[in-house]
Parts: sequence; structure tokens; C-alpha cells
Amino acid sequence: MILDPVLDLFRGKAVTIPPLDGAFRPNTRLDDAPPFAELTEPDNLLVTGDRLLVSSGNAIYSIAAGTEPKVVGTFPSLITTLALSPSGELTVGLESGKLLISGKDVSLPAGIRCITALSYADDGTLWLANGSAEHAPSQWAADLMKKGASGSLWKREPGGAEFRKVAGDIAFPYGLHPAGRDVLVSESWRHQLVRFDGATGSRSTVLTHLPGYPARLSHSADGGAWLTLFAPRNRLIEFVLQETHYRQDMLSQVPPAYWIAPALASSRSFLEPLQCGGIRTMGIHKPWSPSRSYGLVVRLDQKMQPQFSLHSRANGTRHGICSVVEKGGSLFIASRGGDCVLDIDLASGGF
Amino acid sequence: MSFRERLQSWRYNLVPDHVVGEILTKRWTDNAIPFLALVATLATFGSVIPGFFKLTALQESTRQLGEFSMVVTGMTVVMLGGGIDLSVGSIFALSCFSAVYVFFILEQSIWLALAASLATGLIFGAINGYLVGYLRLRAFLTTLVTFIFGRALFDILVTTYAADVQLSTATSDVLDFIGDSTFWGLSVSVWLAIILAIITHIALTRSRPGWHVLAVGGSRRSAHNAGIRVRRTVFMTYVFSGFCASIGGFLIACRLSGAGPGTGLNLEIMALTAAVVGGVSLGGGRGSVIKGLMGAIIVLTMTNGLIRLGYGTGTNQMVLGIMLAVAVTIDIRWLKNRHKVLNEVYVAPVYLKMGETQSAAPGSGTSYELDNRLSAAEHIGLGELEGPEDVILDRDDNLYCGTRHGEIVRFFAPDYVKSEVFAHIGGFPLGLAFDKSGDLISCVGAMGLYSVSPDREVKRLSAETSRSWTSIVDDARLRDPNDCDIAPDGRIYFTDSTKRYDAHDWALDSIENRATGRLLVYDPKDGSTKTLLDGYRYTNGVCMAHDGKSLFFAESWACRVHRYWLEGPKAGTAECVIRDMPGYPDNINRASDGNYWMAWLGMRTPSFDLSLRHPDMRKRMTRRLPQDEWLFPNINTGGVVKFNEKGGIVEAMGDLTGGAHPMVTSMREHKGYLFVGGILNNRIGRYKIAGADPNWTSPASYWGAKP
Repeated sequence: MILDPVLDLFRGKAVTIPPLDGAFRPNTRLDDAPPFAELTEPDNLLVTGDRLLVSSGNAIYSIAAGTEPKVVGTFPSLITTLALSPSGELTVGLESGKLLISGKDVSLPAGIRCITALSYADDGTLWLANGSAEHAPSQWAADLMKKGASGSLWKREPGGAEFRKVAGDIAFPYGLHPAGRDVLVSESWRHQLVRFDGATGSRSTVLTHLPGYPARLSHSADGGAWLTLFAPRNRLIEFVLQETHYRQDMLSQVPPAYWIAPALASSRSFLEPLQCGGIRTMGIHKPWSPSRSYGLVVRLDQKMQPQFSLHSRANGTRHGICSVVEKGGSLFIASRGGDCVLDIDLASGGF
Repeated sequence: MSFRERLQSWRYNLVPDHVVGEILTKRWTDNAIPFLALVATLATFGSVIPGFFKLTALQESTRQLGEFSMVVTGMTVVMLGGGIDLSVGSIFALSCFSAVYVFFILEQSIWLALAASLATGLIFGAINGYLVGYLRLRAFLTTLVTFIFGRALFDILVTTYAADVQLSTATSDVLDFIGDSTFWGLSVSVWLAIILAIITHIALTRSRPGWHVLAVGGSRRSAHNAGIRVRRTVFMTYVFSGFCASIGGFLIACRLSGAGPGTGLNLEIMALTAAVVGGVSLGGGRGSVIKGLMGAIIVLTMTNGLIRLGYGTGTNQMVLGIMLAVAVTIDIRWLKNRHKVLNEVYVAPVYLKMGETQSAAPGSGTSYELDNRLSAAEHIGLGELEGPEDVILDRDDNLYCGTRHGEIVRFFAPDYVKSEVFAHIGGFPLGLAFDKSGDLISCVGAMGLYSVSPDREVKRLSAETSRSWTSIVDDARLRDPNDCDIAPDGRIYFTDSTKRYDAHDWALDSIENRATGRLLVYDPKDGSTKTLLDGYRYTNGVCMAHDGKSLFFAESWACRVHRYWLEGPKAGTAECVIRDMPGYPDNINRASDGNYWMAWLGMRTPSFDLSLRHPDMRKRMTRRLPQDEWLFPNINTGGVVKFNEKGGIVEAMGDLTGGAHPMVTSMREHKGYLFVGGILNNRIGRYKIAGADPNWTSPASYWGAKP
């Protein structure tokens, strides 16, 4: 209507989100896949030689087909991220803000307290994403609902002992993908991928208007990348982000598990918020209904443009995917909301 | 409570926002814009022009108005039938000339002049009607052609005979009376216009041909499919328009005693503007004679006023053009967007601070603690049923339930595999109860209170109660009759949950949370329905206490259960017996152990409870988000709760997986089993109650052992 711009001043703009279309067209591939391993909230996957490691709680497990997950190591607090240096050193970030390389504590500058992602470039440069200056990694929902944008990007030159801040004011950097001297960062709260110049720290957006909150990135064999989106964008949540008073009251009075906020898994308790479209009707939970959690893995080509995606929809369970890794023609997917690791055969294609 | 919250509660609980939406649902709001335009026009010119409302000035204006409004009435009828008549101006002029010619030149009687005038109008109207109606030519072009043709003919005739008319000596008292006199203070032309308008109005709104015109204008194809003779109807509208224009022409002939080149000039534009400005839709089917008349007054006041203010013809035409453009825009935009505006403003949330509640979460250790027992219930009618809101069993153990298709389905004992449609009522049968004679009483959502006899005869008991004084939308009508129960004396107590929403929109009522639920009673002795209580937040289940001296009813959105006393010292009053539950109560029924079963349709969530304290947030939510995205109470988990006579909670059970019984709206105990229904479910559950009396049945509990 021609009067809309005028009326919007009084009633506010309609809240809209990018549709799941094109490369994001929904399918049920994640729910169709059989579980490869089952363990509680598997987070970060890592390939070391022949082994497949996955972090879960404050332990690292080694997983293989047909066997129970084996504990490889445990740590004093929750593990937030894993990385492997070119020389084979296991690098672990902890909820407490500590960074361990081959089990040795690395001294960090005061600004790093929320390690969300670690990644080595080919030359041995270690990139570190500090999600937020105010919150621990597990309090990511609070950072989002407080509209946090205090994340920062750090790097340690090969052989150098000190981390250097490359850029700040990032709205929750959650994934790192070194590309030559630069690094690609998934900026979750702004639903975009950003490329930071390794030398100057200047930023340029690569992919915007993602339909979810991007998490970690990982290499694919052909030079592209895999992007995980740990939760979907939801119009109610975006609306609540605009509602200052309600949001503040919610943050102060409602337990975090029952916030109107993205989640790694949903519909587990009747105290969680429900949206009209999510009502079970005649025994059916509509797969296209609005949801706080979702499972979404996106394949990016060499130009970092989406090619296709794997989904677990609103009525599925393989939600909250934060990490995937490609190993020997298979794609391993860790679903935090579905408490399992999936194995999808890439060779058979069909995407 | 913070100052801001207090302000919010005042703002949203004391200012009646819902009135705006209710007024917009009224059809007469369509008239509001032209009416305001009329008032504004009269006020403007009345104040700018001195002596505008003086009697003599008005007399001349109204005479003109009489002729003009007749033409507009004809135009209105054509437009209502989905057409347009641009030839009214030339028909008007030609009719005027016919009268003048017969009277002044042929020197015949005035009545013959009238006949000639009418014949001219009818012939031209019939030509238009034949071309547009029967030959189905475009109305706009066809009448444009007749307009040009008629105008040219008139110009030739006027120039040829003008001198002869001047020289004529014919006079008539009748002509002078029609042209100059007044009758009870009004001129003849105004009287005629009023009479014509009344007859046309009655014909359009209350007669078969009038309805046909509106139907054809509203949708030609549907009208044709309904068996209306579309072509003839269209033909008749043009003939009527010609008739109206010819009377107008006759009247001006009487008033001016002659015809000049200016007669009827630009009349078609004025009439069209009047009709559209008045609110008669160009698309057809919407409008009325009254609207046309309002438009006529606006246009005439405007043009005359401008002339008296000293503006020339050019300005006048310009103003007419602008008015037409504005009116057409409003007409089309309003028609297209009215329902959107209504959707945006109808939901008007209020402030409510819910009381602190005990947790129902598993492991919480409270009496409300839900478990997973109901998921073990056997299924009845899985996949066949849609929406069994309430379930009930008769003395022969057969199971009855309503469905969203408006049917009452019966499942046969003992295995409940075979089923049949027991009766078709329509609407959405909700609460069920058996009366003493074995008739099945049902509250039918969106319809009323119905009874179905054992031989399946459906009878309406009640569909309305008395209207309250302050209602805007008629609240006598029962919008959402929800549950009923029957007192020992045969009176049926039932609830009507909301006055604001229809039965299928019941969940929207939870967003608004306005207290409009009622408890009513139907007396079978005299067939009357009375409102007992009003102003509850979604009254729902009703259950007669075991002693029949009081009843329990649920107030869903407030999570409370009340007791209403039928006799004793507290008769006629209600008291709250259970408050601040963690779930939203639905139907209530008797249990075999002297307690009561209550269904929970959903659970309170902290985020929704908080939103009830932020009505502004809910209001914006309904405007900025599509309905599927709105925050709702969690109605994906329900339960069954047993409470005692004093309101103490005995036990609670649920289906936390949500696989079988996510939302529970009713349950009925029968011979040791609990039958569970859900308004959004596709099955009935049958759950064996541990330790229940295996012989107890509800009909026996209400009406004694089998006679």
C-alpha cells in the first residue's frame, strides 16, 4: 500500500526474515541419516590422522563406527572448541577462558574470555574468535538477547608467543575459516560471513542475510567450505529483540531455558514458549512451522556462495548443529540438540 | 509493580481499544466517510457564504437538488448492478425538450408532455439496456455513444425550435405548480425525489428484483449460477436510469418553462461524482440510495457554493474532477484493505498479572506434578476422528464425541472400533451432556445450544441471551458456547467463552485476554436463556457437583476454577475454589470417587505469563507478525487433574511426550476407564484408572440407575 511508509511510523515495520529457498530449500536429509555415534551434546568435531574426535561436555571422545565413544581426555571445565595445528598439536578452548595447546596452558591477553572458535592457517598462524567481552560461551543466548556486539578476532603468528587483536566489535564470531592470509568469520548475531584482512583487520562481507545464526566453518575437499547454522532465524525472536521492555523483563525474570530465544533443541519442556504455527494439530507438527531450533548445514563453493544444504526441520530432532567435518568422502555432523553424530556419504551425492 | 507497569495496566485496562475493532466490523462504517464529507462540506460553505442556510436560498437549491438527486438515484441503481450510465445528461436534456415541445409547440396537455418525456427516457434507457445487457457491449463505451448521440440530437432540436418555444403562449396551472410552488414547505421536485428514493430503497433492500440487482453487481457469474436472469436485470437497471433522468428532465422543463443549450450539460459527470463520493462502489454491488443522495447533496452544495463564491465553471469542473479522483481512490483502497485494517486493530490486548503458581514439572514434587501416564492410553478412532473436544458415554456404554466437521460420532461398545455419524449439526460440537430422558445436549461452537434425541432428531434449544447495554457487536448471540451440564431440575447450565471471537479463533482470545466469558442457564420449561455471570476470562468446563447444589466452572485464561451456588445461603454467587494453576483448565466432569476430573488444555509458560504484563508488546506482535508466528500459551502439553470438593488437588497425569495426547480438552470416567478427548487431536484415548469403581457410570451418577 502506498501509505505503508507513513503508517509504519505508527505501527512499526513488519518483521521479515530471509526465506528458505534456493540453496536453502528444505529437505529431511539430516533426519533421514542414521546416527553414527550417540553422545550428549556433541559439539566440535576434529580429524586427527585416522581418528575422529568430538568434544562433549568437558571431555573429548574418539568415535568410530560400531563402537562406543571412547574418552580421550577430560578437562576442568566445558570444552568450547578444538583445533589441530599443522604440526599435530591438539588445541583446546575452555569455557573458563583458558587455552591449552598439547595440554599446556597458554597465557592469553586480558581481553580473551570467551573462546568460541580456533583455527590454524596453513602457515601455522592460530586464529582465535572471542565471542563476547561480557559473556562466557555457554551464555551465548544472553549475549544475543542483550544485542551484544563485543566479540573480537585475534591471531598468533607462527612461532610468536603473543596474541594480537585483529578486529573488534564483532557480533559473536562463532566460526573461523582461514583463507590464505585472510580469515573468514561467521558473525552470528548479524547472520553473515565476513572476511577480515590478515594484515589490517579491515572487514568485507562475503555472505549476508543467512536464514539462521551461523556457527562454525570447516574445509571441504574441493576448496569450498561447510557452514553450520546452529539455530534458525525466527520472526518472533527478531520481534522480541526490538521490544526493549519485554526483553529486559524476560532476561531478568524468566529462566534462560524458557526465553524467547534461539535454542539448540526445543519442545523438551512445556515451559518453553510456543508459537501458533507450532501447535500440534491432528497429531501433526508442521515441519515448516516457526521453531526456536533447527538443523542446517550449508555447502559453500570456492567463492563462498551457498550451493545446497542439509536440513532437520521444525518437526525433526537433529537440531543445533555447530560443527561438521569432512573425512574420507564422508561428512560427519555433530548435532547438539539431537545428541548424536551423523555420517553422510558425500560420494553418493544426490544433493 | 513498577511505575511503567502500573501505567500500562491503566492504559490497556481502562481505555477500551477493542471498541475500534468492533465498530469497524459494522457495515455502516462504510457510510461514515461520505457522511463526514457531507457534514464538512455543509459546515464549510455554511460558514463561508453568508445566508447559505436562509430559506429562500435553500428553496432554490433544493429544487435543483430534487431534479439532480433523481438522476443520481438512477445512476446509483445502474452502478449497483455493476454498470455505468454516462448518457443520463443527454437523456435528461432530451426528456426536457420532449416535454417542452409537446406542451409549448404542439400545445398539448401537460400530462401528454409528461408522457412524452417519460417515453423519451424509457426508449433511451432501453437502447442502453439492450446494448449493454443483451448484446453485452461495454457499458462505458456504449453509454458514451448514446451520450454523444443524444447530446447532438438535443443541440440540433434546441437551435431549431428555440424561437418557437419563446413565442408560445401555452400556460398551465399544473405546470406552474410543479415548477414554482411548494407543498408543506418543500417543492414538488423534492417531494418526488424523496418518494422515488424511498421506493427505490425499499425495492433494493427488500424486494426480489432489487436483490437481483445487488447480486448481479456483486458477482455476475455467481448471480448467473444462482439462476438470476443477469441480462434482463442489467437491462432493467438502464431502463430505470432512463426513467429517473426523464422525470428530472420533465421537472426542469416545468421549472424553467423551456429548454436551453445548457440544460443537462455536464450532468453525467456530476451524477457520477455524486454516486462515487457518496460511497457507491464503482465495482458494483456495494452502495445504497441513501449514499447516492448524500453524494448528491455534497456535489450540489459544492458546485453552487463555488459559484456563489465567484468561481467560474473551470474551477467547478476541476473541483468535481478532484473529488471524483479522491473518492475513487478511497473506494478502491478501502474496499481492498478494510479487512486488513480490521485484522490489525481487532486484537486489543489487556494487562494481566498472573499469580505465582506451583510447578507442574516432573520431579517438582507438587500435587500438580505431571507424569507420562496418559501416553499409555489406547486409541479410539485414530486417524478417523478430527477434533473430539468432548466425549461422553451413554447407559449402553456407547461413546459419543463431536468433530470439527459439525458431526456427532458414535463409537459402539464394547471395542469402540465401529463408528457411525450419530447426527450432523454443523458448527463445532463442543461440550456434551445427557439429560434425564436420554437426549444428548451439546454446546455447538459458533451456533448455540442443541439437543439430539435418541432417534437423532436435532433441535436448537438456544442461540441467544439478552443483549447487554454497552455492547457494540451484538452480544446476545452465542459466539463460543463451550460446555454444558444439567441440574437435577432439568435446567441446562452452560458457558459462552468469549464475546470477541468466533469459536474457531478461540486461541486468539488468549492473546487478547479480555474478560468476556459468561455463564448462562437455559430453562427447558419456558425455553428462556439467562446470563448468570459475565466478565470471566474464557469460561470453559461446567460440572454439576455430586450433590447437585452447586456447579464448578473453569476460567481458562486465568487458570482458575469457580464454584457457582444454585441453592443454599450463597445461591446465585460464585466463589473461586482453585486459583493460579500451572495449566489452563478446560472441561470438568465427575469422578467415581466423589472427586472431579479437570482437563488442562495447555500449560502456562513464563514467557507468555510475562507477555500478559506487556499488552503493548502483544498488540505490536499481532500487527507486525503473521498469526503463525504469534506467541501462544503452550497448548502442546495438557493433562488431566483430579480435584476434590474443596478444590484440593488429588492427582495429575499427562502425556509429556506429546505423541498421543498433547492437548487435553475433556475426559469422562466410565466403568473404570477414563476417555480422553482433545480439540486438536485425531483420536480419543481410553485409559484404565487404577482403583476406580468398575461399575460407576456418569448417567447413573446424574439420573440414577437404569429405569
